[in-house]
Amino acid sequence: MALTEIKVPDVGNVADIDVVEVLIQPGERIAVEQTVAVLETDKATMDLPSSAAGTVKEVHIKAGDKVAEGSLIATLESSGGTKPAAEPAAAAAEAEAAPVESEESAPAKASESAAEPTVREPEESLAAPVPQPAPGSSRKAHATPSVRLFARELGVDLSRIESGSGRKGRILKEDVKRYVKQVMSEGAVAAGSGIPPIPAVDFSRFGEVEEQPLNKIRRLTGKNLSRVWLNLPMVTYHDEADITELEAFRTSHNAELADNGVKLTGLVFITKALVAAMQQFPSFNSSLSADGERLIVKRYFHVGIAVDTPNGLVVPVLRDVNRKGIYQLSSELSEKSQLARKGRLMPADMQGGCMTISGLGGIGGTGFTPIVNAPEVAILGVTRARMQPVWDGEAFQPRLMLPLDLTYDHRVIDGAEGARFIEAIKNYLGDIRRLLL
Amino acid sequence: MGETHRDQAAVHAEVLILGGGPGGYTAAFRAADLGKQVTLVERYPVLGGVCLNVGCIPSKALLHVAQLIHEAQAFERHGVSLGKPVLDLDKIRAWKQSITKSLTQGLAGLVKQRKIDRIEGVGRFTSANSIEVQTESGAQTVTFDQAIIAAGSQPVRIPVFPNDDPRLLDSTDALELETIPQKLLIVGGGIIGLEMATVYHALGSEISVVEMMEQIIPGCDKDLVTPLHRRIKKQYDNIWLQTRVQSIEPVEEGLKVFFEGKNAPESELFDQVLVAVGRRPNGTLIDADKAGIVVDETGFIPVDKQQRTNVPHIFAVGDIVGNPMLAHKATHEGKVAAEVVAGMKVGFDALTIPSVAYTDPEVSWMGLTENEAKQQGIDYERAVFPWAASGRSLSLGRNEGLTKILCDKETGRLLGAGMVGPNAGELIAEAVLALEMGADAEDIGLSIHPHPTLSETFAFAAEMISGTITDLYVRKKGQ
Repeated sequence: MALTEIKVPDVGNVADIDVVEVLIQPGERIAVEQTVAVLETDKATMDLPSSAAGTVKEVHIKAGDKVAEGSLIATLESSGGTKPAAEPAAAAAEAEAAPVESEESAPAKASESAAEPTVREPEESLAAPVPQPAPGSSRKAHATPSVRLFARELGVDLSRIESGSGRKGRILKEDVKRYVKQVMSEGAVAAGSGIPPIPAVDFSRFGEVEEQPLNKIRRLTGKNLSRVWLNLPMVTYHDEADITELEAFRTSHNAELADNGVKLTGLVFITKALVAAMQQFPSFNSSLSADGERLIVKRYFHVGIAVDTPNGLVVPVLRDVNRKGIYQLSSELSEKSQLARKGRLMPADMQGGCMTISGLGGIGGTGFTPIVNAPEVAILGVTRARMQPVWDGEAFQPRLMLPLDLTYDHRVIDGAEGARFIEAIKNYLGDIRRLLL
Repeated sequence: MGETHRDQAAVHAEVLILGGGPGGYTAAFRAADLGKQVTLVERYPVLGGVCLNVGCIPSKALLHVAQLIHEAQAFERHGVSLGKPVLDLDKIRAWKQSITKSLTQGLAGLVKQRKIDRIEGVGRFTSANSIEVQTESGAQTVTFDQAIIAAGSQPVRIPVFPNDDPRLLDSTDALELETIPQKLLIVGGGIIGLEMATVYHALGSEISVVEMMEQIIPGCDKDLVTPLHRRIKKQYDNIWLQTRVQSIEPVEEGLKVFFEGKNAPESELFDQVLVAVGRRPNGTLIDADKAGIVVDETGFIPVDKQQRTNVPHIFAVGDIVGNPMLAHKATHEGKVAAEVVAGMKVGFDALTIPSVAYTDPEVSWMGLTENEAKQQGIDYERAVFPWAASGRSLSLGRNEGLTKILCDKETGRLLGAGMVGPNAGELIAEAVLALEMGADAEDIGLSIHPHPTLSETFAFAAEMISGTITDLYVRKKGQ
């Protein structure tokens, strides 16, 4: 009987990971891949699978703790069999994820197995300047009398500083200063907008109500979206791409394939076409420096795909799309979507995107105005393709038309450039042989 | 104007301090050091208040005498016979006075050095910006911009007792050491009562203690009080708990005291009775209403964390603002008030006010008590180190002491500590520092304590929490 330690794996350079729930207890027998805990970062909630099988000897974390890469989760008395180094890629058995992301796959499977906790109540957001009571207990702030005096002088409520940089999290003078700076700089943004807040309304005056706390993903997404909305001058441009040929090719390919092999989704072609256009128009593959003085152009082509999950919107990133083939991208996309819905995406899976694709294709609609996932400079929205009569100069032809909505940061991209970018995408989708050129 | 001022013309103070005890003189000194022009009103010719004149300091002098006598007696069986002590009460009294005198003179010097105006007499408010002081030479009006009230407290008197009988004492009388009664009853088993019991027992009185609550020093954890209780039970004639004094009848031979309660006799005759049932704030004696200051029905003046009363430019510190009525609380509050008065952004922010009973053995505690932890449902871990395992304690001829610490179960952070044993009062200061610094059991255990000292017991208790103790064998949980 060997002792095995389960640790937090590399989740992509994230320091404060909240432990939302611990699902194992000492004495319990667990299997490889069984979820041992639910962790939450500012980007996503994830189930942490066990790297080994065995009997739990000791659990070293509990809900509310903060962990980081390498933190000890539990000690197992193992009965052999650690997790194989790499999982065989879940051979994209996933039903074709609808040309453009999904409705049906999402909310249904939320709470099937025990390993899928339904309620994920984050303990507390990051060191947010939002007025909130101290985390959990009545415990006093860990600060010496002189630091408490200093905080009083500056009017800082020490309970808002979650953890100090001193030994054992003791709050030092520097931590108080840093907190003040942080609040002041954030306050400047908020104040700069000069927008009065939406007044509180007591809805219970009008009828029965129920309060449901938002989970962390939703709260942080909301904050992020508001920030983008206030900071970016955005323009949305609408057009339609003719994907009749593309769809014919895709369906015939999938039909030939029968059971084995990778089924192709429309989304993969759109991703590929997007990257080809980004190569042609490098400003779409850029970010504005924080001071707004420089443009940082990227030489890599990672594309974020917005995925609707029961816990909220997450955006896994497909890496190096320019260097990968359609098959590889298809299987990666299917794998990441599955992980996203199971809440098993690691923060690293969601970092580094250059542009994002947001699709509502499975549901309907003829167009929408997506919000840029800043610091990216543009986002491509896609709704459901429809067969439409298209005038070819002599007659109406039935053509499968895919609505495209491109929102861009007007500080970086001009209107004409936006239009040319969409033209390029349309060209690629209209005849995917161009992707080879 | 001034038709009523048959006396001196009104004077003005930037900051008026009412009361020259520890809270008042500390506030006065701090305010003066911060550049304020300060006037200090004190009814007695000497500063220092109860603490210096009729409290902490003289009682400690007498307790030292008691300790000498007890220790000499205790070592007879270890081969040191000093003979029966011969007491010269006049000399003891004079020595005690000399200590008080040197301290009060020191204070007077500090007042002069700081150029603080001193007015002797009882002061009462006449408005929110003026006070009238009854001096020897007549009434003196002082107008002020801001004021700090530090008018203290006085011993509680029980109306039905024969308060005019000289054989009925309060703590002030008892410290005078006029006579040593043969049979002394102490009403009130709190800190003051038990300290005076210690003194008079050493000086030869037969002591009985009567306490209403179910333990002596109510408010302190019972396990800390038990070693003291055991020891004095042998030394004193009686300790009646859950008992109250119904009445006291003065007769020629003494005071006949009638009891009501557990195990107590119906009545018993004593030569003297010391009443030490607590202290009462002086809030009602200063015409606070004329300044518009709120005083509650007990006589306390409610204040906020800045020591500010409901009148924004009037502050209050010390016994008059609430319990515990301790000099070290008053001085800390005095500093806060003076600094706020001088425009500094401070507040009373101490995590704990330590308590000490200078009995034999001494009892001290700070932070959270175990009683409070239980009441508040706080998840704590507890360790008690017995001084029977301390070489230093044994070499003092004592083995009954204990050092107890309470730590947060999750983080190990120190929440509270209590000690009983010789010098427990000195030892508790380290625990206060540890608490204020946010130390946990590991920090305390890893700090090297000199050997052999009683201070080690604090580190040992911490090691018991961390599981690293080697000076005891502690069975691990679950083994």
